[in-house]
Amino acid sequence: MNRRHALRHIALISGGLALIPSCDFSKEDILAAYENLKITATQKALLAAISDSIIPAGEIKGALDLAVPDFILVMVNDCFTQENQEKFTAGLQAFPDYAEKTAGKKFADLSSKEKETLLVQGLALTGDENPEGTVLAQVGYFLSSTKRFTIQGYMVSEYIQTEIIPYSLIPGEYNGAVLISDLQKPRVNG
Amino acid sequence: MANLNLRSTQERTYQAIVVGSGISGAWAAKELCDLGVKTLMIERGPDVTHLKDYPTTNMLPHEFPHRGQLTEKIKEENPVISKCYAFREDAMHFFVKDAEHPYVQEKPFDWIRGYQVGGKSLMWARQVQRWSDFDFEGPARDGFAVDWPIRYKDIEKWYSHVEKFAGVSGFKDGIAQLPDGEFLPGYDLNVVEKYFAETMKKEYGGERHVISARCAHIHGSAEAFTAQGRGSCQNRNLCQRGCPFGGYFSSNSSTIPWALKTGNLTIRPDAVVHSVIYDEAKGKATGVRIIDRLTKEVEEFYADVLFINAAALNTNAILLNSTSTRFPNGLGNDSGVLGKYVAFHNYRARVSGEYEGHAEYTTSGGRPTSGYFPRFRNVYKQETDFLRGYAAGFSAGRGHGPNTDGIGMDLKNNLLNPDSYGPWHVGSHMMGETLPKDSNYVALDGSLKDEWGIPQLKVSMDYDDNDEKMVKDYLEQMTEMFTKAGFTNIQTSDSKQAPGLDIHEMGGVRMGKDPKTSMLNANHQLHAVPNVYVTDGSSMTSTSTQNPSLTYMAFAARAAHHAVAESKKK
Repeated sequence: MNRRHALRHIALISGGLALIPSCDFSKEDILAAYENLKITATQKALLAAISDSIIPAGEIKGALDLAVPDFILVMVNDCFTQENQEKFTAGLQAFPDYAEKTAGKKFADLSSKEKETLLVQGLALTGDENPEGTVLAQVGYFLSSTKRFTIQGYMVSEYIQTEIIPYSLIPGEYNGAVLISDLQKPRVNG
Repeated sequence: MANLNLRSTQERTYQAIVVGSGISGAWAAKELCDLGVKTLMIERGPDVTHLKDYPTTNMLPHEFPHRGQLTEKIKEENPVISKCYAFREDAMHFFVKDAEHPYVQEKPFDWIRGYQVGGKSLMWARQVQRWSDFDFEGPARDGFAVDWPIRYKDIEKWYSHVEKFAGVSGFKDGIAQLPDGEFLPGYDLNVVEKYFAETMKKEYGGERHVISARCAHIHGSAEAFTAQGRGSCQNRNLCQRGCPFGGYFSSNSSTIPWALKTGNLTIRPDAVVHSVIYDEAKGKATGVRIIDRLTKEVEEFYADVLFINAAALNTNAILLNSTSTRFPNGLGNDSGVLGKYVAFHNYRARVSGEYEGHAEYTTSGGRPTSGYFPRFRNVYKQETDFLRGYAAGFSAGRGHGPNTDGIGMDLKNNLLNPDSYGPWHVGSHMMGETLPKDSNYVALDGSLKDEWGIPQLKVSMDYDDNDEKMVKDYLEQMTEMFTKAGFTNIQTSDSKQAPGLDIHEMGGVRMGKDPKTSMLNANHQLHAVPNVYVTDGSSMTSTSTQNPSLTYMAFAARAAHHAVAESKKK
């Protein structure tokens, strides 16, 4: 595949973003809280929508109720290498078009079930060496990072660790041979 | 440099000065104070008062912005200290950052330091195994370094002395190479660790032991420790933050408050020791010259007896920088061995695996220790192609967590009901004895100085062929033992980590019988300046395969009693 071909393929997959990568940013301010990332309010809202699909609200609160999107961006901003930050933001940028191309609709217009199906598909993306593959790999990386931090931000939140599954600073005396069958924990219904 | 010797000499004179407030320094100070000696303890870092200065001790996981993880910025700025397992968001304030105190790595050396009152005793791993004559007789038997001037019988009662005060949990295992001590109730091994211990006993004719490692934690009854204001360990495993219960031993929770209560201790934090003052006319050391960490002003303190326990490499640095007409190459350095024959512990290799057995069991609660393999190589006689041997850590734990497949409500319910059990994971790491040698040394750099105008320390340590053979043997032996136990998915690794990350650097001011080849005598005194004692890691003639801190404590207590007995003779 020659270069022009390759670029056209990226343009198809990413909806033109690869050719004019800054066009989105010119219209909207970049959120200053995440100084190493060039993230807009719209992108943060999309991230929020994805985290909401990963851990939705139900009988108990979901990711969106616990400021998980902010936690994800703090972690990516502070704890990712520059290379991984770029992969993450490229994946975030490419996601809307990936969604539209794959599911036939904008992510926001999908039903909960459709969103889940799309995300499960996206999480499995590993991509390959060619340009389309690179973008798909970025989408996959973005989604798997988002899922990992959604789980961490949700489970290690004040709400979960004080109200739902209280964290104990004093875990009690060690028992090195507990029969699993003796452990009866009340089931928490999400 | 401004000289701030404004206060009268009398005000700056004590009966004893201890340089360093870490595990050995504070033990020396505590013993001296108990014996009625007016003691000044000098610490280069800021004060850390028990309870008051543990800012993260009761923080919940969600209260850490990065949930404990280091940021990229911190890792970039601190390539050395970021490698330390305990340098995490909850305890990084207790570690020296790379830029704060530069040193010269002639060969790669990860120098892990804690500059504050209490030193590294705040964040140590709290493993306290006694040394035995298999260690003290090692150099003489195997022909390396020099013979230790002491044997187990010289130190035995001091081990008991410090164990009773520090609080050591363990079992009387009756193993010759790991003498029993004064133990509080031990922490049980778990069901898989016990299985492994029994299997090893059977497979190796009772020559290979897996025990519960002895640790400096108060377990069982805390009654003996209420006078120190300490209580039982609560199994928090957050020790590196400082313990609100005083459950583990640290200078801050134990020896320092105890010494302060006698009324005999003065602590001078923020004082960087420049050198020991040697009086040519009197033929002895008379005090130390310090530079205030913050104001950079110079001050001198005087005493009849000095303990230099600044941590292994810094004690070397202080003595090297203490030059005089009598000692142009460093205090007490007639032999030229000061700074040489430094060594460390080889922690490079690890083995891990899985175990499908005992699938009906898991563990609950917490414990501050794990399993331990005392040395089994070359114990009674030379039997391999390398000298000495290694101890090893061993632990088993049950993978237990939620199934994190999928997303949505199913994922959420799985997360909230973590009832999926993986196989038992087993893991081991080695702790190999390295041989002190002339080519491994520390020295002062000829041109680079620190913020206080003191020459930077140059470190030159490396592994050798003996270490490589030992890594290979450990990996082979542990793989064989895991295989015999039916463990699967056995993985071996050699991190090739630089010396230093073991945080067991030792030597440079070694003990020995002969002043021509050693710095310290059998009583921990400089051969040439007997009113100077050294009982920290720098004094070690060889490294053994046991964690060394307990031995520093015992040395410090022993030396303090010797110093007081000597002063009474006069």
